[in-house]
Amino acid sequence: MILRSVCVLVAVATLAIPSAVVAGQNPQIPRAADGKPDLSGVWQAATTANWNLLPHAAEKDVPAGLGVVEGNEIPYNAAAAAQQRQNFANRAQADPETRCFLPGVPRIMYMPFPFQIFQTPGHIAMAFEYVHAVRRIFLNTPHPEGPIEWWMGDSRGRWEGDTLVVDVVHFTNQTWFDRTGNFHSEGLHVVERYTPIGPNHIHYEATIEDPNVFTRPWKISFPLYRRLEKGIRVLDYECYAFGLERTWYKPTE
Amino acid sequence: MIRCRPFLPVLALGSLLAGAAVDAQQEAPAVPYTPPRTPDGQPDIQGIYNPVGTFYNIEDLEYQSLYQQFKPNPAMRGRSLIIDPPDGKIPFQPWAAEKRKPIYELHLDPPPDWVDPNAQCWPQGVPRHVNNREFEIFQPPGHVVIFNLAHHTYRVIPVDGSPHIPGNIKLWVGDSRGRWEGNTLVVDVTNNNDQTWFDVMASFHSDELRVTEHFTPVSRDRIEYRAVMTDPKVYTRPWTFAIHFNRNKEPGVEVWEEACVEANRKNIDLLERPGR
Repeated sequence: MILRSVCVLVAVATLAIPSAVVAGQNPQIPRAADGKPDLSGVWQAATTANWNLLPHAAEKDVPAGLGVVEGNEIPYNAAAAAQQRQNFANRAQADPETRCFLPGVPRIMYMPFPFQIFQTPGHIAMAFEYVHAVRRIFLNTPHPEGPIEWWMGDSRGRWEGDTLVVDVVHFTNQTWFDRTGNFHSEGLHVVERYTPIGPNHIHYEATIEDPNVFTRPWKISFPLYRRLEKGIRVLDYECYAFGLERTWYKPTE
Repeated sequence: MIRCRPFLPVLALGSLLAGAAVDAQQEAPAVPYTPPRTPDGQPDIQGIYNPVGTFYNIEDLEYQSLYQQFKPNPAMRGRSLIIDPPDGKIPFQPWAAEKRKPIYELHLDPPPDWVDPNAQCWPQGVPRHVNNREFEIFQPPGHVVIFNLAHHTYRVIPVDGSPHIPGNIKLWVGDSRGRWEGNTLVVDVTNNNDQTWFDVMASFHSDELRVTEHFTPVSRDRIEYRAVMTDPKVYTRPWTFAIHFNRNKEPGVEVWEEACVEANRKNIDLLERPGR
């Protein structure tokens, strides 16, 4: 009985103070009307992961990087390790990025282009500058029944406290993680965690598993930075159209 | 003004999903429709819609949609989605009409340079973005976002009074800025590139194209759409295009990924051609 009264008192006290200072909540995080962290805005990663997920020295047109993989190791099984070496050898032609295809998840999150997050209580959408890729993250709904092979997979989200957790399945085997041939099969399963750590930063973490390719799940993480430039806007990068633009409709000079 | 027009059996796939076949002759109700409001106070027109139009030949509905079995319908000959000018034709300047003529005539079997840009998986431009396949209107705070099923293209329309981007930046679906006039969403689209057509028939424009759109919800399930195209480099006068959208009422429906360039062999060949 005494315990229950204490609980009631705590509940009343919690209601009486602004939600931003409720114990355990980071007061620096902007919040949506429903009290969830407001992730909306234009964001961009600043890693070199698209060139190479792992630590690497600089090369011409490749900035050096410390890598984004926990433990600096991708746990390929033996056959997959051989495949990765072959991918690396053929990377100039074989990387799906060279053909401007949708880059899949998580690669789209660290392509060196901005993207915009839109948020409502039941649905979060991401609109990317790179090849106008789109991710629709429906909250608290099940994945559609497979087998389905989508370039960007099927994303379903839920809030765990202030962290948006997104479960992504239904991939193709056609996308790579980077330009060095790190790859997966259609059995890829990605669990992403988006945790705002201030008004302008999100800690992004993805757990990657694929029993066809890896011996255990592994993790990548990096910050997403809010693009703070005045009037910032996601523009377009229609990779596959460059060099193919038509000029026939210009007036005769 | 929106002219009374018979139901157009176009976009078979989308129309089937939307149940558009029951739409015949439906007219705006006498009492103006007031949509509910989103949490940030916008008229709420969110949902998945199918355009009732055609992107085959917007000037002549005898030719319906690419997605149907291609069969001309002489009863529709001469009918147009263009409500102004009154002749239903795009008012091309003489040089532009000349330039278009051979491409128009060869549209069924075009040489590579005359292939419809949309068929190459390029973004549709405006208004073709909403006159193509099924699309979804999403209204997060301060924005109207339109996701098109085809080629997973999207448009972001800020409705926060923000200004257009610098004029020299040209974009495939332009730079859209919207405002609500009563329950009508009015969108000013600038910064368009000169790479898109309005249909399959070489209906081109320059990078000076400006589009003014009106999205007017007339019932819970129907939006009247009008777009005025202005392009002093190519047309003799502004012209107006009008269609409507029907809500897809299938419970729980979602717009899913439809990749395009990834499976378009022709495009891949073009990308891999020597010297590119």
